[in-house]
Amino acid sequence: MTAAIQAQHVTFRYGRGQPILQDVSFEVPAGTFLAIVGPNGAGKSTLINILAGLLPPRSGDVLLEGTNLRSCRVQDIARKVAVVRQEFIPAFGYSVMETVLMARTLHYGRLGFEGQADQELARQALELTETVEFASRSLDSLSAGERQRVFIARGLAQNTPILLLDEPTSFLDLKHQIKIYDLLKSIQIEKGTTIVAITHDLNLATQYCNQALLLYPLGNRPAESSCYRIGKIADILTPGEIERAFDVRVFSAVVGDERFLIPSAARAGGLHLSGRASQDSSQCKP
Amino acid sequence: MPGTLAPRTLLIRIGVAAVLLVLVMLACALVGPQTISLKAALTAPATGAAPNPDYEIFVRIRVPRILLAALVGVALASAGAVFQALLRNPLADPYILGISSGAGLGVILAVIGGLGWTLWGRSPVAVCAFVGALATVWLVWGIGRITGKYHVTGLLLAGVVVNAFLSALILFLTSIAKSQQLYATIFWLMGNLTEEDFLVLWVGGGGIVAGAIGLFFLSPQLNIISVGPQDARSVGVPVEKIELAAFAIAAFITAVAVSLSGLIGFVGLIIPHAVRLVFGPDHRQLLPLSGLAGAGFLVVADTIARTIVAPAQLPVGVITAILGGPFFLALLIRYSRKVYWPA
Repeated sequence: MTAAIQAQHVTFRYGRGQPILQDVSFEVPAGTFLAIVGPNGAGKSTLINILAGLLPPRSGDVLLEGTNLRSCRVQDIARKVAVVRQEFIPAFGYSVMETVLMARTLHYGRLGFEGQADQELARQALELTETVEFASRSLDSLSAGERQRVFIARGLAQNTPILLLDEPTSFLDLKHQIKIYDLLKSIQIEKGTTIVAITHDLNLATQYCNQALLLYPLGNRPAESSCYRIGKIADILTPGEIERAFDVRVFSAVVGDERFLIPSAARAGGLHLSGRASQDSSQCKP
Repeated sequence: MPGTLAPRTLLIRIGVAAVLLVLVMLACALVGPQTISLKAALTAPATGAAPNPDYEIFVRIRVPRILLAALVGVALASAGAVFQALLRNPLADPYILGISSGAGLGVILAVIGGLGWTLWGRSPVAVCAFVGALATVWLVWGIGRITGKYHVTGLLLAGVVVNAFLSALILFLTSIAKSQQLYATIFWLMGNLTEEDFLVLWVGGGGIVAGAIGLFFLSPQLNIISVGPQDARSVGVPVEKIELAAFAIAAFITAVAVSLSGLIGFVGLIIPHAVRLVFGPDHRQLLPLSGLAGAGFLVVADTIARTIVAPAQLPVGVITAILGGPFFLALLIRYSRKVYWPA
């Protein structure tokens, strides 16, 4: 069986700068929930854009369900993969329903209108993301978190076997973080959708994902100079790997039968209080 | 379903708007320094019979002028809506990429170069305006492409700079022009709707109507493109093709309008906004309704321009701004709870 996503020796650089992604190769089996983790500027969003066919790699290939993106029309790519980018406010005030229906643009009838099936998919997506109550409100009247759920609904309405998400829960409250990850998990299990999500929440990733891809920042790569590691969650999201990628101290704790990663505030080689500030604070002690 | 546009609703709205437009055009055709009756105006005199002045005025003077106003209104309002979508900028108008100054430069060069030559027995001013407009927008588009495919800021800045540069050339040329040439140029720059040649009307009108219909068929894709080019690509829209087609058609109908009527401001900026405020931003509805509203607005504005100081006439651009400004502000205040201006 062909993997849902295959990256083969993908290399990318912006302009003439250093390559941000170098020789990245991996396979994501169909029905996997993969977390992409890494510090700011490590190339997470770039990788998502490359996998979505929005950005051609400088060299190397991306294959979705065995088809090379370089030989695909945008219409064909859009039938395979939907991408949820970080939320923003569009220039014009489209309603939530209009926004979600735009995911179906490719499937509109000859006169440019959505059919029954498109409306049904959009309605389901709104219900799943709990955005149906503001279906007719304009996007700019929503909070960032509500808007983010609308963009997730748009990705779901595209109804593709692969779903890519760029920090889908960054603006969400605790309840909706859990709800969105529950939703993604149920889509993965019930529909067999392959899901790739960028996240900064290591514990959500540990609880919900099967695999993790860790990207190291440009200046802080391991000796073998590979810019990434991919594997089972338990092998990748370890205190040692996280410390190396993020340059913070991380503790591992087991609560019940779940393992949690707890970043620590202070770290040798990290942030120091200046000498004077610590002197002042010592004077305050009784 | 809430929040969406049903094809039926759209058809009804377009139908109502079209009927209103025809009524407005008919009413405006009866208004003028010379009062005419509709009944007399519609009876053609039998061959050899005494000429019917009402019919002559109606058919030879008022109808062509009103048709021209309507066509120019359709072109400017639809092109304005399309430029706003493509540039993802509510402040865009049909002239933003240099069409106006390019056409103006073409006209002043034609006037200073001497109007000795003619084209099919006609003055070359319109042709020069058309060529100047399209050459300029092509140049601006080319510069914009160099600065980056998805960055409309480069395109906008190129438009602003080319506009400023060509405007300076126009000022330079007007300052060395003879007074008679100056009058011809300024008259054109202010915008006027006095084309009386039916052939020109048919050709120009055919181009504008075909362009407006073509834009309608791009409107579902324009919706997601106006959200973002990456969003459009990810849902399967071939962004570059659609953008190029929409830019080309919008620039073409603007150039036709400008070469028929000179520079008429404000219509292309405020009509799409007014329609968007009332009916929402969906381009499948915005484009046809803007076209019809632009036509009606310009017909009314021109009727005022040719009657308010009769027998003299005002440039219609003066009226569009004087009428359009307060009208738009009233709409803005009325619907302000529905709008949000992105920072």
